[in-house]
Amino acid sequence: MDDKMSETLEQAAALQKLWLDSFGSMANVWSEYSSDSPPPEEMRKVRNGMLKGLSGTWDEFMRTPQFMEMMKVSLNGALDLKRMAREGMNKIHEQFEMPTKEDIDGILLAIRHVERRVLDRLEGVDDRVRNIIDRLEKLDERLGKMDGRAGKLDERVNQIDERIKTVDGGIGKLGERIEELSKAANRMPEAAVKRKASIK
Amino acid sequence: MSTATDMKEKAGIFGNLDSWQTSFLNEGLTNLRRLAALPGLPEKMARVRKGVTPREVVYEEDRLKLYRYIGQGEIKQKTPLCFVFALVNRPYIVDLKEGRSVVANFVNAGFDTYLIDWGTPTRAERYLTTDDYVNGYMHNVVNYLRERTGAPQVSLLGYCMGGTLSTIYTALHQDRVRNLILLAAGIDFATREGLINLWTDPRYFDVDKFVDVMGNIPAEFLQNAFLMLKPIANLIEKPINLMENIHKEEFVEDYLYMETWLNDNIPVPGEIYREFAKYLFQQNLLTKNRLPVGRHTVDLRKITCPLLNLMAKNDDLVPCSQTEPLNDLVSSTDKEKIIWPAGHIGLAVSGRAQKELWPRAVEWLAGRSR
Repeated sequence: MDDKMSETLEQAAALQKLWLDSFGSMANVWSEYSSDSPPPEEMRKVRNGMLKGLSGTWDEFMRTPQFMEMMKVSLNGALDLKRMAREGMNKIHEQFEMPTKEDIDGILLAIRHVERRVLDRLEGVDDRVRNIIDRLEKLDERLGKMDGRAGKLDERVNQIDERIKTVDGGIGKLGERIEELSKAANRMPEAAVKRKASIK
Repeated sequence: MSTATDMKEKAGIFGNLDSWQTSFLNEGLTNLRRLAALPGLPEKMARVRKGVTPREVVYEEDRLKLYRYIGQGEIKQKTPLCFVFALVNRPYIVDLKEGRSVVANFVNAGFDTYLIDWGTPTRAERYLTTDDYVNGYMHNVVNYLRERTGAPQVSLLGYCMGGTLSTIYTALHQDRVRNLILLAAGIDFATREGLINLWTDPRYFDVDKFVDVMGNIPAEFLQNAFLMLKPIANLIEKPINLMENIHKEEFVEDYLYMETWLNDNIPVPGEIYREFAKYLFQQNLLTKNRLPVGRHTVDLRKITCPLLNLMAKNDDLVPCSQTEPLNDLVSSTDKEKIIWPAGHIGLAVSGRAQKELWPRAVEWLAGRSR
């Protein structure tokens, strides 16, 4: 028995199990039927029980590899069919020199590639601009600090200026005093002559 | 002795017959009411609205529309909230009807609330990738919201596939996201609990062949795949339930709103479908911190913002095991998870979720949005 055959048999067995389980669970519910409640209510209970049972067996079945294999085969079949139909339509369009869906997709893809390249470049430019802004901000910070230092330097110069003024003032006063002293010194010989003469 | 037993049996039978008679009569009358309600069904279907909270379009890009919900009170929260929905359905499930609207919960609590509607993709969008959606559209929307509201960051609420997109966005742009709320978002695809995870196994599903032939993934394919998750419930139980309750006004209204949304599927761009199927469902790269998005690689450890992870206990589409691991994969210190007893949709719209879960989520976000 080849693989394909055993796969098919496994799928058939899974389907058989699904139906057997479904009918089994539906039949089981009837054993709970009671004549204590009115038939419409009992029927509703039975119906809900049957649906619950069915739901459980289907959920279990849809998780089996056999179900997923069947799903894969049917989906691939549908896709192959769609592809073939499209290829046929494309040939007809080409014969009539009309654009096909593939042509339109090709144009869209080309636009997309150009857009992607432009966006990538823009993102690169954006990064670079951000770097430049960062560096400018740092430069601003440094300039700010330098401004602060220059401000302090100005203050210092002002202080020195004031000191110089104070020293200038002191020197001026000193000059005045020296002048006074020299005047006093000049007056001293005259006074000494007068004193000598008076002593004589 | 035997006479007493006979009398008892007879009384039991007659007692039964009496209740049977009443039951048959009631059933018959109910059937008449059901029949009488049938002609009104098309009119009720025509009355179904797609979204109920007043809204306006504030931003558009290609097919994308960003809606802003208009509340009656003033905005109390500084950080805007943006809903990000999946690409497979229309987003109005979060604003389904009065009393069943997630959006209304946030709008009424004073949140500046927005919603991204991705629109219906055409063949021109078949090559759009996760990078285009996350680093393109979502990033532009977030930047727009920052500019519009003046808030430095935005809170994101992602539902289903929108939750996965929001997680990816937050990991790549953490500086722009203040809070992250996820609603049944697929993160860890290693689990085999959900049927979709099983069916996308690479041994049984050739995603490249599928996308190459189909281009965009047709809405009907997705719709049938969702129906097949619970075929008995969806194809048999649901119509029976409708017929049994067709005379009940509220049931029919809820049913019609729900079914309108469920059957309102849209196609998914081929390339993003290929990436999701291959990188997430088949290779589970997001939890391994190796998911490529354009030139970037998603590292979940870069998520540091507060995280609220909401999941549904009976979710057959995104089981809890697929969502729960996220809380251990992010670096956030402020993180919380809530497992709610509902299904994938019930998590958003069920009466109990509206009464208990959403006020809790609103409170959680309010404390983190000022």
